[in-house]
Amino acid sequence: MAMSELVYGLLFTSMVAVILAGFVCSTAGVYVVRMNLTALGFTMSHAAFAGAAFAIWRGFNPTVGALIFAVATALILGPVAEKARLKADVMLGFLFSLLMAMGFMFLNFAPGEAASSVALSIIWGSIFTVSAADALALAVLATVVVLFTVGFHKEIMATLFNRKLAESTGVHTRAIYYSVLFLTGLAVAFSLELVGGLLVFALIINPASTAYQFSNDMKQIIWMSPIIGIVTSMVGFVISWVTDLPTGSTIIIVSAITLAVAIAISPKRKRGGLKGAIPQAAVQ
Amino acid sequence: MVTDAVVMEDVSVVYEGERIAAIHQVDLEIPSGQFVTVLGPNGAGKTTLLEAINGLLPSTSGRVKVLGFDLATEGREVRKRTGYVIQNFALDPLDPFLCRDVVMMARAARIGTLRFPDEGDWDKVDQALEAVCMTAFAGRPVGKLSGGEFQKVLLARAMAQEPDLLLLDEPFANLDIDARREALRLLERWREDQDITVVMVSHDISKVPRACDRIVVIDKGRIVMDGPRNEVLASEDLTRLFGAWGDGDE
Ligand SMILES: Nc1ncnc2c1ncn2[C@@H]1O[C@H](COP(=O)(O)OP(=O)(O)OP(=O)(O)O)[C@@H](O)[C@H]1O
Ligand SMILES: [Mg+2]
Repeated sequence: MAMSELVYGLLFTSMVAVILAGFVCSTAGVYVVRMNLTALGFTMSHAAFAGAAFAIWRGFNPTVGALIFAVATALILGPVAEKARLKADVMLGFLFSLLMAMGFMFLNFAPGEAASSVALSIIWGSIFTVSAADALALAVLATVVVLFTVGFHKEIMATLFNRKLAESTGVHTRAIYYSVLFLTGLAVAFSLELVGGLLVFALIINPASTAYQFSNDMKQIIWMSPIIGIVTSMVGFVISWVTDLPTGSTIIIVSAITLAVAIAISPKRKRGGLKGAIPQAAVQ
Repeated sequence: MVTDAVVMEDVSVVYEGERIAAIHQVDLEIPSGQFVTVLGPNGAGKTTLLEAINGLLPSTSGRVKVLGFDLATEGREVRKRTGYVIQNFALDPLDPFLCRDVVMMARAARIGTLRFPDEGDWDKVDQALEAVCMTAFAGRPVGKLSGGEFQKVLLARAMAQEPDLLLLDEPFANLDIDARREALRLLERWREDQDITVVMVSHDISKVPRACDRIVVIDKGRIVMDGPRNEVLASEDLTRLFGAWGDGDE
């Protein structure tokens, strides 16, 4: 009895964590995709991995390490990327591999058996290392994301449409830009152990990219993406639980398939064709 | 109350990485309520001048005061009250924004942080769209508009902002003759209702609106002529300049 209660308690905590991670990542994704921050976010997620590895080596909490590295990356690269002085391919080719190499180097220094299961979780993700504290941190972050999205809806919409135009009407677009970067850094750091450092960024990009396929209206995309994020995360979680497959990978495969299907059936990409077309004059 | 809407003293702008100033030692005073047309050839610095007025350019030297605010310290207050119809706007056909929302965005700063648009705000948006004959397009994504239609949406956007100063950068470049006339009439009504100052940029000497009070001509980043509309248009210097620009013998 006690044993199964323990298992279900664990299952519940992981499930809540997965849902929350799906929510925060996919909401951040809407902003990241539209603001062309994909390369920067990708770099941040690998910095988070390196940070977690560093923490394992030095013997402190990996989430804290991930957080510090991700936020530091946002602080250092944010201003450079903002002025478009750093090309995306430079970031990807140089920093991404460097951070990855650093991460594996740190893990190599980490002593002993105890570290190895945690090390595996920051690489591939694991739902069994999730603690109640991790789930709570995600819950707090989810609340912040909701408050940001609702409270600054006008400013976010204006900034997402066009930064220069938004700035010209007095919107503080830099505040929105850095808020997005920091929220993305937090989302990445808090989700790292669930899906792993190699995959966490897909959790950000896939649901948002899926939502972009279905709507011409940003207001809709902003709520569609989190729904897609939560559903794909839950479906992936359940499948992995039933089939005993690795959770992070399963979630990402489910969300990747969803995106592929969305691209295939996207109403935005459908060609009109001449059949049934009416001349413009007939309408007026 | 006749105060100056814009005061520029010794303003120069050098773009990052450039050696030549895009505008050089510009002194300009625009009284409240005036309608100024800025004429000049391509690359003269017209867009730069407008963006030096609303503070979108960071590397400006000299002093700029707009609507009583010092641009260097209170740029955001200036921009809140300044409508800007931008010249070059690359629209992506897949841009997921509806016309109505794009117009509403202009009111964001005006409505205020952590506040939401109310009925009155949406009314203003609908009125602005109606004024430019774009009501039928309110629910359409902007990516699917033609160049001229989007230009009208940008005009509506500036209008919905209810600015005290309006900066227009070639606002009629994409409009057909009817739409242009309609837009000018709209501008007139707007100026009658509210005492707004208008700075409009154009490179076309033959299309300076009759309603405009004053013409400022810039060439190579400097103000080369400045005076009442008819005087400047009649001036031989202008013909010479425009002859040199190649517009004269069209
Ligand atoms: N971002 C920039 N970086 C460097 N130089 C620039 C930049 N923008 C403009 N310039 C230069 O500054 C000068 C003035 O440009 P500006 O855009 O103000 O011209 P304009 O009068 O608006 O021309 P047009 O009629 O073509 O719109 C030009 O020589 C241009 O090459
Ligand atoms: Mg220009």
